[in-house]
Amino acid sequence: MKGADGWDQATGDKWEVQLRKGCLELAILAALWSGKLYGLEILRRLESDSDLIVSEGTVYPLLSRLKALGLVRSEWIESDAGHPRKYYALTPAGKHRALDMAGTWTRFSSSMSKLLAPLEKGK
Amino acid sequence: MAMSASDAQQRVETYLGRLRVRLRGINDLDVREIVEELRFHILDKAGVSGEVTAAGVDAALAALGSPEELASEYLTDSLLARAEVSRSPVQILESLFHWASLSVAGFFVLLGSILGYFFGVVFVLCALVKPFHPQTAGLWVFRDSTGSLVTSLRLGFGSPPVGGRDVLGWWIVPIGLVVGCGLLMLTTRFALWCARVYRRSHVLHRV
Repeated sequence: MKGADGWDQATGDKWEVQLRKGCLELAILAALWSGKLYGLEILRRLESDSDLIVSEGTVYPLLSRLKALGLVRSEWIESDAGHPRKYYALTPAGKHRALDMAGTWTRFSSSMSKLLAPLEKGK
Repeated sequence: MAMSASDAQQRVETYLGRLRVRLRGINDLDVREIVEELRFHILDKAGVSGEVTAAGVDAALAALGSPEELASEYLTDSLLARAEVSRSPVQILESLFHWASLSVAGFFVLLGSILGYFFGVVFVLCALVKPFHPQTAGLWVFRDSTGSLVTSLRLGFGSPPVGGRDVLGWWIVPIGLVVGCGLLMLTTRFALWCARVYRRSHVLHRV
């Protein structure tokens, strides 16, 4: 329902989801920065470190695409659970892409922070 | 409620079997890896407390979405990843055929792409055969048996239409090449744009 100022909750939610979705690829590359992880660990890392709650049905195809693009590589490693797990790690191209994206993100968020500073003071 | 190992296994296998069938279009080795990875993911999630439960298996499968939805995501991602390497219309159409079998959106994108590629190829062919069939190949305008005005791209086979006029003449060569190649490029861009929009809206829906 629209408020008096024309802003409705649904639009706000959609905007937030779009914002989260836009940084999903960067978030996955960043999660892999410190070492190899398997799919479920990536999901948990995103959930605990970034507040990004992503469905499995979104992350696995995306990992597959990042692999096809040569940004991550994968290997099967035996685990204590009794079955192997597919671990993903960044390739040199993936590290380069992660740094590029992180740089863009930092510049963008820093300029946005300046712009948003008066709003923070006015709260 | 604890379920027997065989019940859990059967439920998982049914899901993975449906997914495997719908992943046609991705190479066999990749399909095997996808299926194995998801099998172990489901077991990890369902057995998080040490015992595989019916609720655990159901929750893990629900979180993945239906096999059709999941296959659609793999196929559109595969289409986009392959397009980064090669923009071959054959590869794109092949991926679109599989996507079309899974979703209405894919069907309409396939339909539009077939039309675009068809007209693109016809324009290019018309330009290429004009030097070999100068009297008959080209863009013809004529009246059919009912008297209606008909426009037709002819590749030069058979005789020219009675009372017809070759509108472009030799201009069909440069125009056919430019329009044909343009249509082929635009169709590829259209198909990839649709795949991106579909993928984005799907991620948007699920994040």
